[in-house]
Amino acid sequence: MTTYQYLIDYYRELPFLIKLIGALITLSVILIIGLTIYLKGIRRYQRKKHADILKFKSEYEVMLVEFLYADDHIENEVEKNSFNEWLEQIEVEPAIQDELDDTIKDLSPIQQSIISKLRKEALVKSKRKIIISILYKLMEEVSGEMSDSIKVLYIETGLIDYALKKINNTEWSIKAKSIGELSRFEVKEGHYEVVKCMDHSNKEVRKEAHLYMVNLFQFDGLYFLNELKTPLSEWDQIQILEILQRFDDQQICDIRPWLKSTNDTVVLFGLKLAQIYNQYEINDTLIELLSHKSKSIRVCVIEVLTHLYGLEAKDMLKANFNELSLEEQLSFFTMLEKLVIPSDEPFIEKHLFHKDFEIQLLALKILKSINEDKYKVLNNLPADQKSKAMLQLENTI
Amino acid sequence: MDTSTVNLILEIFHYLFFLFTFSVITSYVVLSLISVRETIEYRKKNSFVNYKDILSSTISPSITIIAPAYNESLNIVENVRSLLSNHYVNYDVVIVNDGSKDDSLEKLITAFDLEKIEFIINEKIKTQPLRSGVFKSKNPAFEKLMVVDKENGGKADALNLGLNISKSKYVACIDVDCLLLEDALQKMIKPFLEETEAKVIATGGVIRIANSCKIKGGKLIEVNLPKNLLVQAQILEYLRTFLLGRMAWSRLNGLLVISGAFGIFDKNIAIEVGGYDTNTVGEDMEIIVRMRRHMEEIGEKYKVSYIPDPLCWTEAPESYKIFISQRNRWTRGTIETLRKHRKIGFNPKYGIFGLISYPYWLIFERLAPLIEVIGIIYFVVLLILKQVRWEYALSFLLLSYLFSILFSIVALYSEELTYHQYKKKGTGFKLILLSAIEPFILHPVILYSAIRGNIDYYFNKTIKWGEMERTGLSSSSSS
Repeated sequence: MTTYQYLIDYYRELPFLIKLIGALITLSVILIIGLTIYLKGIRRYQRKKHADILKFKSEYEVMLVEFLYADDHIENEVEKNSFNEWLEQIEVEPAIQDELDDTIKDLSPIQQSIISKLRKEALVKSKRKIIISILYKLMEEVSGEMSDSIKVLYIETGLIDYALKKINNTEWSIKAKSIGELSRFEVKEGHYEVVKCMDHSNKEVRKEAHLYMVNLFQFDGLYFLNELKTPLSEWDQIQILEILQRFDDQQICDIRPWLKSTNDTVVLFGLKLAQIYNQYEINDTLIELLSHKSKSIRVCVIEVLTHLYGLEAKDMLKANFNELSLEEQLSFFTMLEKLVIPSDEPFIEKHLFHKDFEIQLLALKILKSINEDKYKVLNNLPADQKSKAMLQLENTI
Repeated sequence: MDTSTVNLILEIFHYLFFLFTFSVITSYVVLSLISVRETIEYRKKNSFVNYKDILSSTISPSITIIAPAYNESLNIVENVRSLLSNHYVNYDVVIVNDGSKDDSLEKLITAFDLEKIEFIINEKIKTQPLRSGVFKSKNPAFEKLMVVDKENGGKADALNLGLNISKSKYVACIDVDCLLLEDALQKMIKPFLEETEAKVIATGGVIRIANSCKIKGGKLIEVNLPKNLLVQAQILEYLRTFLLGRMAWSRLNGLLVISGAFGIFDKNIAIEVGGYDTNTVGEDMEIIVRMRRHMEEIGEKYKVSYIPDPLCWTEAPESYKIFISQRNRWTRGTIETLRKHRKIGFNPKYGIFGLISYPYWLIFERLAPLIEVIGIIYFVVLLILKQVRWEYALSFLLLSYLFSILFSIVALYSEELTYHQYKKKGTGFKLILLSAIEPFILHPVILYSAIRGNIDYYFNKTIKWGEMERTGLSSSSSS
């Protein structure tokens, strides 16, 4: 008791700063002990979760494969009435359940039992995640009727309902994830909700909504570009183009309005479309873009025109060569490499000593391709009269 | 001097040390909080990303991996194989043999069926001349590979030659001995492609320690905690640095360094600023500072990005001698860079870069070891003068020790909730234990190396790069 009293008195007499540090030390010790215990718990949970994932994954994989190969009954059904047609029929949301009930009757008993089992399993969030990840994987590996069967399974196990519900979630990541999920399983019922997200304040949500529209409606889904005010990143553009290139129907819509967009990223995207889909008929619009205010667009236009053999543009650019930026000049010389004709020789000669090494080199190469004798004459020039590119070429040959 | 003056001086010293310690701790807490928030955002954002499209896209931007090699004969073939196994579609690999004295080049020629080719190099950045020349493989399977043999000029010079040779829009500068995961390039290129508000000039990645990890055919098979205590302590240090420090600086757009072991750069900007500085041993930090300075001066919005995924694994020093040499070099590199760009410091013209990043590095990285040594000397003086107020001294010492443990545990906690690389049972306990002993086994050595670095910088200018003995990742095995 005396020792206890002594400690209390000792503490009371300590300066304020020491008392404060003492409190911080106590807090640190509590935090260290607490976090250590928590960390141990997390690690144990992670290990268990990992083991569970492996266990359920193999279990569900077997079930899903069994579902796909259980009966060809559903395949016949899909042959009669393609899945897309079927989806269109049930596009009005309240009618979904009735249609599903009809479809489930067409399934074999084994398939029905698998669906009801998966439906129960899907009630648990973690298990639902595993099932969806396996379905994703399967979707990537199969095509045609098999992938239609996966979509049916996705709908009938009720997974679709969770995704549709999540679109209205206020948390952006959940919203974006659910749109991505609906896009992957090509669920058209979410269309009305997804359209509302096209101008969402979060760019991930916007991106997923754009991808959804393109994935489900192909070129028609690109209508959002007409009104797009926010930038379309390179990453988004790559993803959209990859989706478009997967479709059999490569009938592209009129891209001219996008080339005239006030949104530079939309113009750049339109240029990519023009190149990939060989839009020879839009040369006039492309030529107009040669005077666009954005340098990166002008450079890109020259590249596209090179690809599309824009001879008319070549003459225009040649005439205005000195007004072009260095990047444009370089792009133009790349164009010349492809579209050169003998009458271009004086122009080429004029730029053999251009200040840019790459242009010097391209000029030499082009000259060699149209007039090898003149090129050889250049080789005989004294070293002090040669350009940097000529000297480099000499050293490498 | 009378007693009251001495007391006043002592009092001022006390407050200065207190202020410094308090601001260090506060900055760590703030950085941790920002970092945790940023990591959560990053994880959310990337939890549903489809990386497959970028892999198959014909319009995905081109990347050149530049890997300088100097006397790397032991592992060079395995390392190059690993670099060639990346999943990204549009990339090539340039190995710059920087005047190696060993048989690195011969090994590469044999293993990859190389032949000398004529290649015109646009020397935008001045470098040492070629030695044997440029080599490409006769085997189409290795068409992405180019080997350049040049006269020795140091790592920066070799990287500059790579910049001259590259035809790509982006360059990934890496250490040849690093193990790059197969999905590294597609993840690292993403920040360049998704940013629309500012120009991304560089992206850095996390560096993880691969000692004792199981590696087969250039692929990481199993992550293990090494037995060597020094390496273990470095693992903890790297977790703190990369998961808590750099993530936060990335959020603030104030990153001053991207590890030389792995970073991707916008090639045109890197060339525009003149490439790597061959006169510094801290070329990785210096080029970022110079690129940022350039962007600030031309008034273009820019960003230095960073991603926390464990994509690059490297070998850490296993002996104190090599470790000290490495840290000594890092210290000299920091001093050189900060001195060279001192114009930026506290200059409002450079925004966050000049007012936060630079002063932070100057005070908490460059000057911290010196302040610590002064503190130790001051403590000894107080001991001699019998002026130590033990209740204060011991309380502060204990608090700072507990804080360092806490900070390490938060880093471990962050690791567990994000990438959970050290999965084996018992490893968690070992790492916690390590948090408690690491301040005694690593910190004094780091302090010593930093002081040596300062001494070498000011009094021994001839010292350049230290030696790094390699045991080789490919020979690493499960512990």
